[in-house]
Amino acid sequence: MAEVRLKNVSKYYGKKLAVNNISFTCKEKEFFSIVGPTGAGKTTILKMIAGIEPVSSGNVYFNNRIVNKLPPQDRNVSMAFESYNLYPHFTVYDNIAFPLRAPYRGKLSQEEERKQVVEIADFLGIGELLDRKPQYLSGGQKQRVGLARALVRKPEVYLLDEPIAHLDARLKFSTQTLLKEFATEYKSTIIYVTHDYREALALSDKMVVLRKGVIEQLGTPEELYYTPATDFVGRLTGEPPINLIDGEIVMRGKETFFKAGDNFAIPVQQDLVDLMKRVARQEEGKRITRLGIRCDNIELSRKKISKNSFQLPVYAIAHEVESSIVTFELKDTFLYARVREEKASCDYDLSEVVWLDFDQSHMCFFKKTLDISKE
Amino acid sequence: MSRVDCKHIWKIYSGDVIGVKDLTFTCQHKEFLAILGPSGGGKSSTLRMLAGLEAISRGKVLFDGKVVNDLGPSERNVALAFESYALYQRMSVYENIAFPLKAKGMSNAEVDKKIKDIAEALDLTSILKKKPSELAGGHQQRVSLARALVRKPSLTLLDEPISHMDQRVRAEMRARIRRIHNELGNTTIYVTHDQAEAISLCDRLLILHEAELQQIGTVEEIWNQPKTRFVAFFVGEPAMNFIDGKVDGPQQVSIPTTEGKKTFKFSGKIDPKYIGTDITIGVRPQETKITPSKEKEASIPGSVKVIEFQGGRTFLTLELSDPKKTEVKVVVLAGATKYKMRDTAWLEFSPEFIHLFDEKTAIIHRK
Repeated sequence: MAEVRLKNVSKYYGKKLAVNNISFTCKEKEFFSIVGPTGAGKTTILKMIAGIEPVSSGNVYFNNRIVNKLPPQDRNVSMAFESYNLYPHFTVYDNIAFPLRAPYRGKLSQEEERKQVVEIADFLGIGELLDRKPQYLSGGQKQRVGLARALVRKPEVYLLDEPIAHLDARLKFSTQTLLKEFATEYKSTIIYVTHDYREALALSDKMVVLRKGVIEQLGTPEELYYTPATDFVGRLTGEPPINLIDGEIVMRGKETFFKAGDNFAIPVQQDLVDLMKRVARQEEGKRITRLGIRCDNIELSRKKISKNSFQLPVYAIAHEVESSIVTFELKDTFLYARVREEKASCDYDLSEVVWLDFDQSHMCFFKKTLDISKE
Repeated sequence: MSRVDCKHIWKIYSGDVIGVKDLTFTCQHKEFLAILGPSGGGKSSTLRMLAGLEAISRGKVLFDGKVVNDLGPSERNVALAFESYALYQRMSVYENIAFPLKAKGMSNAEVDKKIKDIAEALDLTSILKKKPSELAGGHQQRVSLARALVRKPSLTLLDEPISHMDQRVRAEMRARIRRIHNELGNTTIYVTHDQAEAISLCDRLLILHEAELQQIGTVEEIWNQPKTRFVAFFVGEPAMNFIDGKVDGPQQVSIPTTEGKKTFKFSGKIDPKYIGTDITIGVRPQETKITPSKEKEASIPGSVKVIEFQGGRTFLTLELSDPKKTEVKVVVLAGATKYKMRDTAWLEFSPEFIHLFDEKTAIIHRK
């Protein structure tokens, strides 16, 4: 297995800059995810690593060796795509065995080939399907065959592009667990592309968030979840997504307040004030800053909780099994708070005015880089 | 009209394909009922029979006690929104929403007011002049929803109305749909394949699988007392764990492990015929206690095989020391003890969280 490194890699399609000066290292045996919305440049990066697309500038290294000029077959990578690209006239067995039969890789004995194909097919739960042709498979089964074909041999690096995107929810979660098991069991280097943050958080040792061809943040899943570098990264993770609120910086005496409405003003802890001011912007003569807080870090009560508490009317309540999500409507966005049932009951009425309290140790402030208005 | 009764309804398609099999349920006045299940389970067929878009092969549908089998869609006074938007492409968003109102002969001023209200509630005000083709799928779906809701119908039927919206918008739309339901004070029947969506929106859940009713009940009932193995598996994320075991006594089960037999008490009653037989024990990942050391004689050891960080919580997959090396998932909340790969951890099952199943159905009766 190899270490894969990108240094200052860019990709132009004509005049359009698809990938803009990207650098990162995926260490040997690491599970490395590239996350971002459609069109961010994720697949382009994967194709440049595979050698299917040439880089416009910069270098791709496998184990410190530049591979820019190597054709795909000499890079020894194994790929799975979102579109399955199965050979329709081959059985599932032959589709999975295909990469093992490439002439330049030396011939396996039939028994050895069967052993490897059956092992990966059983692992992914498609062992029963080996004799079928692709046309008799569901979309989810086809996708798992595509994945098995990518995982059947041991290359320098696995490149997986949305390999479980088409599985239904239940199967997606179980296949995700299998992939993670595969990665640890076989100590594989895996570079994984997805638009689904949950897959990336669950699977990765390291991940990057990509936006319009540029890296927004690189780090461990915990770092990205707990300390998002930008409002964009914050918005990408969490269900419901992180609350982003724009408010005015107001001084009252020695205290600095974050004010987002007539009744919604909270004194900000001293250690956050610098950050809050640093990311502020001027709008209509006011200093506006952007606050981020996850729904888990907001407390609700019928009684005032602390001097920082403020009041809002309930817009809607969604009861889930172990918690409830209470929604409040702000001027230009919704605010979500989670009430865990073991902590407090959640029997508020619609439009009832309740007290909210933000846990300041989990507040962050961001520069405005995206529009947060209601959809 | 707002109470819905289905009495032994069937949908039989040509070639004797059974879409819905002998389904009986009641949706109460002002209730929010979700019909949940995997695709092909009969959800949409049921909804279409309620709407009058599909003939009822056998049985009766009653609205407020009156049989409506022979009434056409327009005579049933129901509002519909579908996964596929079915918008009039040549009309603007405004005209699309206005259509059902004008068809009822409402004055322009009245129509205008109603559209402004619903556009506000669903945040469509800024796109009223656009044509559907200019809108993304999620927006089109919302227009379709607005068109269904603008008539303030007494029964609203929604079929996967937000499935094409992206995740962030879905959180907003759930809040909006629930709010509109409460404000209108009407009855809503909502079809979805997404168990999390059904749980967060509805008062009661009806679960359909392979054309048959599996269970109907509140979220708490479904969660705490699933009647079939399918329901137990389908509702909840991660899914319920199933472990092979044996009933030892009227309130005791055991699991064989390499450390010897582990016995657990369970609450509730079972038929004595099960005593001494092999059964399946079900425990939810959220209701399994995990400890870093052995705290009780009954604790079962397992080895941490997979760790999946999920934001506020982490899913652990453990390989148990039973003969089948069953893989069991456990949910650990942020801030709790952290486990590493290959750590040994110990699992405890509380009596009230133990479910027992034979091949297909639950065999514990509680209350």
